[in-house]
Amino acid sequence: MLNWIDTNPGRIYLVATLLPLVAFTLLLIGGGIRSACRPYRRQGGFADSLYWIFGGDKPLKTGAYLATVLMALAAVLGVTGLVLVLTDPSEGSLREDRWAERLTSWVHLGPDLPTPTEWDRKRESDPTPPPLVALKLELGYKIDHLAAVVFAMVTVISTLIFIFSLGYMQDETEVVVADHEVDRQTVGRHASGPHVGQHFQRRGRFGRFFLYLSLFCFSMLNLVIADNLFQVFVSWELVGICSFLLIGFYYERPSASTAANKAFIINRVGDAGFLVGIMIAWTYLGTLNFEEMFTRVRSPIADSHGVAQFPNQLIRANAAEPYRDGTPRYELPPRDEFGTGSHLILMPLVPEEPSHVHSPGYGPHRDQDFAVPASQNVTTYGAIPYWLFVVMGVGIFLGCVGKSAQVPLHTWLPDAMEGPTPVSALIHAATMVAAGVYLVGRSFPLFAPEVLLVIAYIGAITLFMAATIALVQTDIKRVLAYSTCSQLGFMMLALGVGGWVAGLLHLITHAFFKALLFLCSGSVIHGCHHEQDIRKMGGLRHKMPITAFTMLVGVLAIAGMPLLSGWYSKDQIIAAAMAYGLDHQHHFLLFLLPVLTTGLTAFYMFRLWLLTFTGSPRDTQVHEHAQESPRVMTIPLIVLAVFSIGVAWGWPLWNADASYLGEILKKSEPAAVAVAFAHEHETAHHYHLAAGGLALILAIIGAGLAFHYFSRRQPTPETMSAPGGAGYRFLLNKWYWDEAYDKGLVRPTIQLAQAAAAADKRPTDAPPPPGEPELPPKRFDLLTVDGLLNTVGQAVAGVGRWLRIVQTGQLRMYMLALALTAVLLLGILTALTE
Amino acid sequence: MSLPVVLFALLATVTAVSALGVVLSRNVVRMAVWLLFTLIGVSLLYLLLGAEFVGAAQLIVYVGGTLVLLVFGVMLTAQGPLRELRTPAAQLVVGGILGAILVSLLIVVSYHIVLPNPPEQDKLPGVASLGLAFLGVTETNPPAALTGLPEGTRVARTPVAYLLPFEIVSVHLLVVLIGAAYLARAKRRVQS
Amino acid sequence: MTELGLQPFLALSAFLFACGVVCIASKRNAIGVLMGVELVLNAANVNLVAFARYNPAFQLEGQVFTLLVIVLAAAEAAVALAIILNFYNNHATVDVDQADELKG
Repeated sequence: MLNWIDTNPGRIYLVATLLPLVAFTLLLIGGGIRSACRPYRRQGGFADSLYWIFGGDKPLKTGAYLATVLMALAAVLGVTGLVLVLTDPSEGSLREDRWAERLTSWVHLGPDLPTPTEWDRKRESDPTPPPLVALKLELGYKIDHLAAVVFAMVTVISTLIFIFSLGYMQDETEVVVADHEVDRQTVGRHASGPHVGQHFQRRGRFGRFFLYLSLFCFSMLNLVIADNLFQVFVSWELVGICSFLLIGFYYERPSASTAANKAFIINRVGDAGFLVGIMIAWTYLGTLNFEEMFTRVRSPIADSHGVAQFPNQLIRANAAEPYRDGTPRYELPPRDEFGTGSHLILMPLVPEEPSHVHSPGYGPHRDQDFAVPASQNVTTYGAIPYWLFVVMGVGIFLGCVGKSAQVPLHTWLPDAMEGPTPVSALIHAATMVAAGVYLVGRSFPLFAPEVLLVIAYIGAITLFMAATIALVQTDIKRVLAYSTCSQLGFMMLALGVGGWVAGLLHLITHAFFKALLFLCSGSVIHGCHHEQDIRKMGGLRHKMPITAFTMLVGVLAIAGMPLLSGWYSKDQIIAAAMAYGLDHQHHFLLFLLPVLTTGLTAFYMFRLWLLTFTGSPRDTQVHEHAQESPRVMTIPLIVLAVFSIGVAWGWPLWNADASYLGEILKKSEPAAVAVAFAHEHETAHHYHLAAGGLALILAIIGAGLAFHYFSRRQPTPETMSAPGGAGYRFLLNKWYWDEAYDKGLVRPTIQLAQAAAAADKRPTDAPPPPGEPELPPKRFDLLTVDGLLNTVGQAVAGVGRWLRIVQTGQLRMYMLALALTAVLLLGILTALTE
Repeated sequence: MSLPVVLFALLATVTAVSALGVVLSRNVVRMAVWLLFTLIGVSLLYLLLGAEFVGAAQLIVYVGGTLVLLVFGVMLTAQGPLRELRTPAAQLVVGGILGAILVSLLIVVSYHIVLPNPPEQDKLPGVASLGLAFLGVTETNPPAALTGLPEGTRVARTPVAYLLPFEIVSVHLLVVLIGAAYLARAKRRVQS
Repeated sequence: MTELGLQPFLALSAFLFACGVVCIASKRNAIGVLMGVELVLNAANVNLVAFARYNPAFQLEGQVFTLLVIVLAAAEAAVALAIILNFYNNHATVDVDQADELKG
């Protein structure tokens, strides 16, 4: 067995990905058997004993322990894998063989492509295998440094959250759970039912939580190791479903079920764009494998004559006169117009002749002419209209917009806080929303400069807007949700302006401290007996010291205190943004907004911490009963705090560029980043200290202001609940996005549906009032759907009635008919043979 | 006007008139009598053509068997008003027209048939050959000319005999006997 | 016989056939219908024997066929009569116009 891993160490990741799936399957089977046996539970028999083996009336905790153990095992494998990736000395194609595999193809479309003739000719001298086959959808994995790091991060955080949930979801282990929130939300609705005056009660759902969580972990890990867009898409949808199931965990609450619907539908809108991108890629690039797509889209780095003139760039060309045999021809634009052109040239995946390759460029031995056959395939040059290439990039990015809650598809994330807090921590802070950023980072070479600009702007707008909304929210989890939204905007901005390493480093560090912050808030909520409103808290520092201290660590990390992990990544992002702003002065917003938001971030995070943990308690009831959470919940907090401090350290410690994690990530940076942003990287290097200093100053100002407003001047419950001015209300109502969507999209859809339904309804559907005659069906209906169908049926019946006349039952008629037929046939035959 | 022609004219007239009589008479008993004459005429035609055994069989089986059976049926069922049942005139006319068209069509077709020369002997094979054929002896078939081929071509035919149809028909008769006996068993008669 | 030719026999057979068909199509008495059937069969037999005589290829076959048809006609007449008697016993009539229970 060790040999199996020794030849392909990447298989460790395969095993680690499948472990949560094993947990999911076992839990599913156990739960299924238990619910199938439940009707027989008092009858004494085989089904009855099965029921009690699998838990009986009380949910069994074994399943949850099993899931946690398997997840921990996956984490161990993930970290081992990371160590192996970092210490593996192999290079080049040997490394690719060891860490990537294309496992199986689901669907094969079309015949295998014929090998180019030159390959056949030179096969004796060149042992490289001939190239690829037809279009196919496949499964496979590819582990590079980025994937290894993200994988380790996801598994470690998941394990910690699993352990946390064992304590947080204790309530669900009861046989009967009373959900007061359901009572509150459905008051007045069951006024006439059997539940009048009773509290809503349901059975505990402990195991189900871990079932969904395990499925989610499997899907997320599958997304991380995927090597092609199809597998990413499959995992994309799977995590969407798990998110839906988990947000709607308390589905009897109308708020939770609507929030789950909202999340799924908004994600779906993004996925539609994603599908458009995938389809364009499939059609023009002929493959969905990341490596192959990059090779197609970007020019080669070297050719048979040395280093290419334009290595790893997007080559644009114009359509020119076709060749004499009719093959369409594309031509590089004149030298001074290089970089413009109506089409993007796609490079062949495997050249006609492997030993003699030209690269695009000007001068002898460089291709200025590209012959693109009418039916392009992966072994020939191709041409995709440039605007379509941009649409492809935007499409893929739209998927990320939906998944990572960027403007305009961000409205689902705050509502997603209806789910239990561990869910918010894992899915909506650390992992699922990070999937969008991960995909943008992975598919960076596929994005045209226009698309990168769009990414940067959307990121900038999101980070600013979400931060302003977070300034005034009063629910702990909402503040953190908008904070997540804002930090994701930072990551997108970084990726858009060329800070590839910065953005992904922030992804990792943010995962740790945001998970920490969410788990701390969960601890607070648990300790205060499900109180989430910070207006009712205050002074909890003495009651919940561990939570308070670890949360402070998280707040400092997110605000960018030097030497904590958040500082390294945020510093690099601000440096990249500053460099971009300096190099492109008209895009100054891309620098201004993140810098401002750094201050805002510090302000609202400190506001949150100060209001919750310091000052005098605003609600004595809550304060009396508050208590520290049990060890099973505080230990993950401490572990996460340690990570939040030190995960991005490097040597020297005070140099933000020297982060060790950042260097690891740099090893898998696509060459396209350096090509596209060479000058910006130079500028960033020069102005590094200035950017860092600016960010630090603004963070200190923000923190100072927070201290001033919320620590020196103690806010009372009255001032906190007073209605503020128009600006305050604008922010409190989330910039009125939800209302705009409702008026602009939801209402018209419902009206359209009602109009369509009205066309089908007859006034006679309801019984007429007594004394009045029945109304005939509406004229519209007569002529269309119902009318047509009825006509068909009546026509058939009429023809049948007419044909019936022939069946008289009289022998003589039949005989006459027989004779007539015989005569006719005979006559025809005679006539024909005359 | 050789003898065969005269004889044919006579017999054909008798048969045709008797058949017409079957059609036109209204009384079912009279129909039976006309049918008798038709069948006898047909039998004589067979004899004229030289198929002696067939003619004899026609007389024995058809006239002496089937017709007697029909007469029995007439006897058992032609009570009172059932002896003469009238058809509406319109249907008679339609039937008549149809019949006329049929006859003319068939006669027109028959005039287009091209036949090869008749063989040297002017006679059909006799009873002996028939019997041997029924018993399965296959050499009784002479090589023959076929329609459509040029004059004088004789084709060697696959030797064929008729033992199997003979056996099948005998079993068939047995089955029919049993079936008819069952169908016509005595049952309570419905009060009319 | 040679100057007689085949056609007269075929004409006679056609006439008998037409009479038979008209008889079946116009008689109300079931036994009358049966007689029409007999006429049709006889017409066919005449046809067969005439061809046997005038076509050297069918000298034997024509007669064999005719004999088989005669036998089968007899069998069929027996069964038909049994059915008619049955019908008479059940409905007290042999009028075929009264046998229209298969009317659509």
